[in-house]
Amino acid sequence: MSYDDVEIEDMEWNEELQAFTYPCPCGDLFQITKDELRMGEEIARCPSCSLFITVIYNMEDFAGGSDPNTKKGLEPSKQQPVAVA
Amino acid sequence: MEENERDKGGEVEIWSWGAGTDGQLGTTRLEDEHLPQLLDLPRFSSAGPISLLACGGAHVLALTTDGKVVTWGRGTSGQLGHGDMVSSLQPKHVKLLESFVMTHVSAGWSHSGFVSDTGCLFTCGDGSFGQLGHGDCKSHCSPVKVSYFDSKHVDQIACGMRHSLVLLKGTGLSGDQVYGFGSGKRGQLGVSMDNTRSISVPQATVGLEGVEIISIDANGDHSAALSANGHLYTWGRGFGSTSDVHCPRCLPSSLCFTQVALGWNHMLVLTGGGEVFMLGGNRHGVLGDPQKGSQVKHLSEESREENLEKVQGLDGLNVVQIAAGAEHSALVTENRVIKTWGWGEHGQLGLGNTYDQISPQAVRLGHRLPGQHTMIKVYCGSGFTFAIKAVIPSQT
Repeated sequence: MSYDDVEIEDMEWNEELQAFTYPCPCGDLFQITKDELRMGEEIARCPSCSLFITVIYNMEDFAGGSDPNTKKGLEPSKQQPVAVA
Repeated sequence: MEENERDKGGEVEIWSWGAGTDGQLGTTRLEDEHLPQLLDLPRFSSAGPISLLACGGAHVLALTTDGKVVTWGRGTSGQLGHGDMVSSLQPKHVKLLESFVMTHVSAGWSHSGFVSDTGCLFTCGDGSFGQLGHGDCKSHCSPVKVSYFDSKHVDQIACGMRHSLVLLKGTGLSGDQVYGFGSGKRGQLGVSMDNTRSISVPQATVGLEGVEIISIDANGDHSAALSANGHLYTWGRGFGSTSDVHCPRCLPSSLCFTQVALGWNHMLVLTGGGEVFMLGGNRHGVLGDPQKGSQVKHLSEESREENLEKVQGLDGLNVVQIAAGAEHSALVTENRVIKTWGWGEHGQLGLGNTYDQISPQAVRLGHRLPGQHTMIKVYCGSGFTFAIKAVIPSQT
């Protein structure tokens, strides 16, 4: 069960980890890389625990683009209603 | 020896357990602890007896009885106030505050707030969302005075994940005021009916005018204020499936509340009668067990209104203090027993395992200090827990 649904614009780009991150309740960070986003991955995992979040984003914002400095991914994504099970 | 220690007020034990990979447990080890660990006191007491702890995402601020501050744990955003962006396994003085007498501290996810006896507010750590209140989004590795409050007397600070609240106690006609700054996306600043993205200059909340506020709290994207007459006001991210609240709203209840503790998805309240209630806890204690979670979730799926529910299994025990981590809870009973429940994956419940618990379970601290004349306070960080056990000076 996903811990939370988080929009990509609410995640922070972490230069050191080369990943978008969001606070995990264990104290560590949920992480997802640009490559993962490009491939359509929507689960960001925490390296320290079993929890994960669902990342809400537009795949087109990441598809094809290889410039790591692109701001595109940080723009507000279209709100996709996500059914909470 | 023992007499001397007693004279100095040194009869204090500090215990910690839970997530420890950033050094936040103060054990000098970078590992989780599933059972309460008694900390080596001299390292902590060099600054004087500790009167209050504030636990954040992975760092701890300790306030001593003479108003000094020592900090340890994760410091990569500057939240320890040591003048660098480095984590610290050892408790270290916040040198910049040495010339002040501090009276209140609060630790957020990755930022910290400090209040002096003269009503000055200092902040440091991650400022990306404006949560330091300096009018920009810069981070600081030493406490910086928040100039907005220069002519005002700050009483308390509460730091959440990406926002801060400040309480000003009123003088004369002005009354008490609560200010918010930082991320406001979920309404946690309480400054406007509209969506506020984030603000870096403190702004007064709307809807608490004329209310005497005795305490404020912030955690995750939640905010709360407790009034002198026992009413609870909440704003920010909705609990459970309820929608976000952008202005402080009084919780409809006939109960009289004396304490509030916010998690990331739940809230605990303590009543004047020593009873504990929880709001939004339908995943509390079932995070690590999806099957159990789906069962519990099913029960409350239909209700869009989150209701205060009495915490089960306390059987008439009189509770004197409550604390909440991101996804776990702790309380102290009148008989000085610590109980914990909620998410337990990192040992943050201190029960010797990593299981979740739906109802409060007793934590065993060991019995070095005699139980009779002690008092216990419990504090929760995101995924860890601290307890301070102190001997109450006898009357004789």
